[in-house]
This record gives sequence, C-alpha cells and structure tokens, in this order.
Amino acid sequence: MKRMPIIRLPTPQAYQPRVTRFNEPFWRALERGDLTTTRCVKCGEATFPPKPICPRCWASHLEWTSISPVGVIYSYTVVHAAPAIFEAEAPYPVGIIDLEGGLRIALRLLDQPDRLKVGLAGTVATVLYTNGPYFGFKLDE
Amino acid sequence: MFKSVAIIAAKAVPVGKIQTRPSEKYQSVEHEILAGVVANAIGEAGVEKAMVDALIFSEPHVYTQQKYFSTFMAAYLGLACRGAVMEVLGNGMTGGLAFDQAADQIRLGRARVALALGVNMETATPASQHMNITMRVTGDVDFHSPAGFTPISWYAMDATRYMHEYGATRTQFAAVAVKNRRHAALNPLAQFRKPITVADVIKSRPVVEPLTLLDVPPRSDGAICIVLATEDIARGLGRPYVRLRARGSFHEGVHQVCDRPNDMIAFNAAATAGRSAYEDGGITGADIDLAEIYAPCTIVEILATEALQLTARGDGARAAAAGETALGGRIPVNTSGGCQSRGHPARLTPLYNALELFEQLTGRAGDRQVADAELALMSCELGNYNAALVHVLERAQ
Repeated sequence: MKRMPIIRLPTPQAYQPRVTRFNEPFWRALERGDLTTTRCVKCGEATFPPKPICPRCWASHLEWTSISPVGVIYSYTVVHAAPAIFEAEAPYPVGIIDLEGGLRIALRLLDQPDRLKVGLAGTVATVLYTNGPYFGFKLDE
Repeated sequence: MFKSVAIIAAKAVPVGKIQTRPSEKYQSVEHEILAGVVANAIGEAGVEKAMVDALIFSEPHVYTQQKYFSTFMAAYLGLACRGAVMEVLGNGMTGGLAFDQAADQIRLGRARVALALGVNMETATPASQHMNITMRVTGDVDFHSPAGFTPISWYAMDATRYMHEYGATRTQFAAVAVKNRRHAALNPLAQFRKPITVADVIKSRPVVEPLTLLDVPPRSDGAICIVLATEDIARGLGRPYVRLRARGSFHEGVHQVCDRPNDMIAFNAAATAGRSAYEDGGITGADIDLAEIYAPCTIVEILATEALQLTARGDGARAAAAGETALGGRIPVNTSGGCQSRGHPARLTPLYNALELFEQLTGRAGDRQVADAELALMSCELGNYNAALVHVLERAQ
C-alpha cells in the first residue's frame, strides 16, 4: 500500500482534535504515516471517522485496518471568510476526497488553490504540527 | 381524531441588525422585543389570549442572556398553557421544527391556538467569532473541524460539484441573488432592498469559492410569531386563512459528508421529504404555485428546487437564470427575498418563510403578490440538506 507523505510544519495546529482511549490508535498510526480506520468484524463495513460501534449493523466488535491514502477530489472550496482561529491561514482550500478503497472523506487540501480541479488524484498526507498530527490531501506531482 | 391545522396570523420585526454591543448605553433585549411581536400577532389573529394553549420557541442563540427562554416568556406574557411550552433546536431547521411542533399541538388536540415563535440575535458578534462556534456544527468536531470547514463551505463544495457535473456557471448562480434582491425590494421586512446586478454579485469579495459575498447569507437578527389554530377556530374568524395541507420530512442519516460515496448534490433528504409531502397532500410538484426554500446560498436554492421537483434535475441553474423562479415566472421561489436579501436570522428563517407564504396565500403580499396563489411549499434543512422538513400550505376562505 502506498505510504503517506509526512509533512512537518513549524507551527501549532489552530484547533486540536481530542485523543480518546478509543481513537488513540488512529492518531498514533497517523504519526507513522499509516492511514487507518475501524472495520466491523461482523459485517465487514469500514467507516470514517473511526467509531467504536458499526453504524451499519451496530456490532461493537471492530478492528483497526490500514486503508489506502490514494484518492481523487470529489469537490472542494477555498475558504476566504474563516473562523477567527483560522484567520491567519486563510484563504485555505478544503475538500472531499473519494479514496480508492471506497470511503469518502473530508479534509484540508495542501496544494495552492489554482492547482485544484475536480477529479484530480493525490494522496492523504500526515501533517505533523508542533502540537500533534493531523491529515490533509496532497495532489500528485 | 386529528384536527385540521390553520395559520391565522403572522407578525415579525423587519430582518436586520438589532443586537447591541455590550458597550452601548441602551441594550436590545430579546424578551422585550418578542413580547411586542406576540401581542401584535394575537391582536391580528383576533383570538382571546386565554385560547393560547402552547408555545413552541426556536431556541435562542448562546448570546441571549435570558436562559430557559420559553418558560420565562410564558411568565413574561402571562400565559397559562395546557399544551407544550418548550424550545426546539435543529440547526437551520430550528424554526421549521417550531412550526411543525406547534402544528402537531393543534393536530393532536392539545392546543386550540399554538404559537411558533422566537428571536434570533447574533449580529453584534463578528462573523469570524461566530464561526469559532459554528465551525463545530458541521462534521465531526475532532476529525473535521480542525480542517477549518465552515457551515457554508459545504454549500460551496456543492457549487463546485454542480458546475463540474452540469456545466453551470457563476453567472447563473448570481442570477438567483439578483432575483432574490428584486423580490426583497418589494418586501418591507427585508434586510437588503437596493437593486443589484449579476456583475455586482460576481465582483463581490470571495467568501467560499466559487461563492462570493452576495451568494451567501448576511448576518441577521429577527423576532417573529406565527399563530396556528384549529381550522374550526380559523373558519369562525370570518376572513382568509391558510390551511396546512401536507407535510414530509426525512433525515438521511448523514452529517455533512457520507463516508460511502453518494450523489451529494441530489439533496436526497429534500427529494424524499418532498415526495412524502406530495403523497400526503395527493399532489405533485407541478401543483405548487410558489415556494419559500431555506437556501442560505444561491446554489442551495438551485439544488433544492431540483430535489423538490420544481425544476428538472441539472436544469435548476438555467431555469433560475431564465427567470422561471422569479415573480411572474413559472414557479416563483423566495418571493420574500430569500436568505441573501430578506435576510437570514438563522434560527428563525423557516418561520419568516412561513410568514411570507401566509401573506401570499391570504392575498396581502402587496407588490410581490403571486396572482391566484393557492398552494405553496416551504422547505427547510440542516447540515448539507442532510435532513429536510417540507410543508405545503393552502389558501382557505
């Protein structure tokens, strides 16, 4: 499976996700460049973000699984009017990505807005802020 | 035995900037403003205050200092109620849920007269500060909010996708804003009434690409009271009223983004709720004479009219640009001026839409009157139209 690029930033993240006992494996794997989520052992459904219960069959026996970070842009926008805590980063693009494994996710896009187009391919990347990991989508060169 | 539900009055303050900054000597206080609106509405309805059996409020924003607002207001207005006194909340659908719950109080025989009402105060808080809160209403607060999504960024992604799939243009989106401004010019309750052009919309500053300032809603305050009653009471008043003809609702079990790829711009919840309402009323989309659509952005109006069968799939932008959804067109949409120009006091917008349809269906919409309007649809939503609530209203004598 294709590895995730790891991008180090010298700044802290403006809004930090909370780490829980349940979701910690996701953030630890992300730091290593491994995109993971939960898959239901009973019905096989993978879901994103990871959940402690299967939204399809409500079974609570789930396993962590690596998923391909490769996908294409389903849609995107560039946010100019941002929440106060993100104003220093604006304008910034965000988008919806269809991953090759069949999941759809929404995340920050890491390229200049003028490069973006629906249908372009790229890879989900790990972004290491000074205060923790997050993820974004990087277009293929 | 269910009772038939009627709307017998609707009163509101003009949409605009009402909230005061803490530094101002005289403050705008929600309950003082709303009390006057309620008294006006009951006065217009011509029913005894003692007949008001239920009060369903839109929950005020966090900025409203008076908490437990509904029970406080029952005391402030001296209203003893045998039906429900409560606040409801459901994102953009909030006002629609207040209307729906008030209608159910009548339908179930728990109230003779029920009020759907509320106050929305937010404009003294800068948008960037307000968004520090609202960025957490869309998506998963830990997995999505850190990316910097804002509520309208989702509609912008609808716009990008719609342009990609159907070749729609910025000019077509802008036509919706221009049309809504033209409607608002005729509405004394509207926040923005000065005419604009397509060029004005396209040249206004980008907010969430491809949408610009005039494609997206302004910040707005408001206060409103809709008076609902049993149809027996409405008939006894001896003047035109509005009957609730049909209803449909649907939540697609998705919050903003579905992790299994779907057709995001089909607005499935609106389509399903619309079909359900049409079945409930024994009608079709073609029977609707006008519609008030909860559409914060121009693209949302286009996609919702398609999902509700008022325009054909993929044809909504062209239809809007061709004037089909304007006053005098085939199916006038948002004769109030819509969110962009009537204004968008978010917790109340569906109630302002109900007021517009009440005025239209009782022939008191003045210069923006849709001739011979008999059946009107209103739709509200939450998320990225992940849920929809549709009511069809009917003129009655």
